[in-house]
Amino acid sequence: MRPYTSGYQIQTYNRGLENLVVTDTRVGQIDGKNSRLMYRGYPLDELADCCTFEEVAYLILHGNLPTPQEAAMWDEELKNWRTPPQEAFDALKYIPSNAHPLAQYRTMLTIAACHIPEASRTDMQAQWRRPARILSWSAALAAGAIRHLNGKKPLPPKDHFGFSANFLYQALGHRVNEHEEKAFDVSLIVQAEHGLHAAAFAALIVISTGADLGSAVLAGMGALSGVRHGGANQLAFEDLAQFDQAKEARTWAQVKAAGGYRFPGYGHRIYKCPDPRVRVLEPYAKNLLADKGMTDRWRVYEAVRGEVESALGPKGIYANVDSITGLVYAPIGLPVSSFPIPFCLAIQTGWMAHCLEYQPRGAMIEPGAVYLKDQ
Amino acid sequence: MKAFRTLSSNYSWALDELDWPVTSEVGPGLSGVIASATRVSWLDPSSGTLEYRGVPIERLAGMHSYEEIAHLLITGNEPADDEAAFSTFRDNLRASRELPEDVIALIRAMDPGIHPTRMLRAGVSALGCHEMTVEDDLSGDRHWRELRIIAQIAALVAQIAAHRTGRGPVLFHANYDIAHEMLRALQDRDPDPEDVHSLDLLWVLFADHGLDAPTFTSMVVASTLADPYYNVVAGLSALRGDKLGGAGETVLEQILGLEDPEAARLWVASTIASGGRIGGFGHRLYHMPDPRVVILRKEVAAQARRKGTPELFDIARAVEDEALRQLAPRGVHVNINFYAALLFHLIGADKPMLPCLYMVGRMAGLMARVHEELENPRLYRPLDRYVGHPIRRITRGAEK
Repeated sequence: MRPYTSGYQIQTYNRGLENLVVTDTRVGQIDGKNSRLMYRGYPLDELADCCTFEEVAYLILHGNLPTPQEAAMWDEELKNWRTPPQEAFDALKYIPSNAHPLAQYRTMLTIAACHIPEASRTDMQAQWRRPARILSWSAALAAGAIRHLNGKKPLPPKDHFGFSANFLYQALGHRVNEHEEKAFDVSLIVQAEHGLHAAAFAALIVISTGADLGSAVLAGMGALSGVRHGGANQLAFEDLAQFDQAKEARTWAQVKAAGGYRFPGYGHRIYKCPDPRVRVLEPYAKNLLADKGMTDRWRVYEAVRGEVESALGPKGIYANVDSITGLVYAPIGLPVSSFPIPFCLAIQTGWMAHCLEYQPRGAMIEPGAVYLKDQ
Repeated sequence: MKAFRTLSSNYSWALDELDWPVTSEVGPGLSGVIASATRVSWLDPSSGTLEYRGVPIERLAGMHSYEEIAHLLITGNEPADDEAAFSTFRDNLRASRELPEDVIALIRAMDPGIHPTRMLRAGVSALGCHEMTVEDDLSGDRHWRELRIIAQIAALVAQIAAHRTGRGPVLFHANYDIAHEMLRALQDRDPDPEDVHSLDLLWVLFADHGLDAPTFTSMVVASTLADPYYNVVAGLSALRGDKLGGAGETVLEQILGLEDPEAARLWVASTIASGGRIGGFGHRLYHMPDPRVVILRKEVAAQARRKGTPELFDIARAVEDEALRQLAPRGVHVNINFYAALLFHLIGADKPMLPCLYMVGRMAGLMARVHEELENPRLYRPLDRYVGHPIRRITRGAEK
């Protein structure tokens, strides 16, 4: 097989570069026919069952699950970076608290990016020192942005908490219970890598210019904020939140489906079958909602999903991960406008892995455009 | 279905219409790939043609201000076609230079030694927080927002320039255009008309140039229906890399250290002999002289004389001659960054400001293309091919 990054192939593709193969990868594999997703060869459901997000992040970045020694070093590295530069938090003074938390978090990251170590180095050694810092700074800044929504000050990290528990503590101000922690951790695991989606592609373009890894992540965040992408989980949840009763929801979904409504959280460019991430997350969402006496919310979701999939399933439209993550985040107590944030925290892992894989052999990405002459 | 036969050096096409899907040769870095259909500009490196909305660059550069070219690129109309529309456009553009106090405060709280491209990115991001709130459903007038951003970026760059040199915030005069006010921020005085002419010329030449990384990144982000400030933050992230925005800085580092034309020639010869790179040479698209260089070279010669440093032009000319003598046979020519960097220097920009100043010009084309993208958005979602580890199971023991 000739590698896709060198030499020339003839390819046929559609608008939005649909079906265009950009590069070879060893990071993840999306099987959109058989409803499977693998990271570095491991099926998603197994990783969700028996690993932490930290271990999965290590796997995605480095190619193998960590040995106990590697895991301890990686945890240590992640914990060392849990305190971002104070200037990034100070930036909140200049930002209205009713700005979207993702935009506040983006601003804090752009300020933090002014204070990164060895900023001008973009060689591979320097780039490899960055993922732990980016993941941990990101989590702390995102939690700060969520606190800022209620006008509250950022909290210092808890060293003995894992990644998920610490993030939720810094965002919510209390320690979550074990069920909440595991459900949240699984939500990060299932969203940690997903091929060359728009955000990963944006990150790849940026890394191809010789930029630093943090700049690539910022570009990815831009694409992720769009309603057609990461912002969809917020919209999907808002659709469900209109209803208390499954019956009303079912009628609404029927009418909307017949009217050609584009349901946020449904349909996917690659999956024309049920999304494996939904399958993994559903039991966690269901149990969490039951714990909190929010079973009606679960029934509303099931009703909408049932209607949408029976109406549109034959066209290959099924619930995607954005339809379900809100049902994990709402019972944990995260504000609805912050739902895109955990997705952003998790998926940075995949972007970084793709960037680190592309940089050593990849050319600068600069496609062409056809000029349409005036008639 | 239309099949394109393409060569690596020549991948621009002009057609009456484009039918998707398309088939083309795909090379490293997606060269040969058709990522969009556009009416904004036509770049044909094989003939040295560059046209904005059908008007050749030679007819625009030096004869129109940046504000007029932004209008042309975004709306498709020349200002003379509808003077009332242009006047509204211009007033909106100039009024948008007023930034929220908090955003200026955020810039001024930063260490002036931080690289201006990073300051600009932070400023744009903070600005987005002020312009777009949680309640904003993005359903408003996008076109207007995009115009606004062009002027806001220029205003931020001017504020950054003032902050870096320890001066107070810039107050913009509605009577003066973007180039005039930028120069006032750079020079701390009312600029000469010749300098305004040079800056407008630079920005007009930089205003659009195909799908370079900042532009294409912004289009990809726009295709997700993200808010326009995200598009720009993402685009600015692509500007950082040494393969792009850093190029002008390299040119100045190299040229300003040379004493005279003879020293220049020796330096070029020894640099090439030892396998080093001469900044401002080579372009992925052009394997012939870049049409914009001819225009800029003349302007640099005039400004070098006017500023009493004619030897700077002689040195540059010597570098160019010597480099071309050795590199042209290999298809490597001088690119726009070479003379652009010198011209920015001559009108009072210090080296680290170059990428930001370049970006102000590019914003017109970038926003025109983002706007075009949003008329009929289609998510950019290509594929990768998995060549990694076959499916495997977790064996417990090593892990928790």
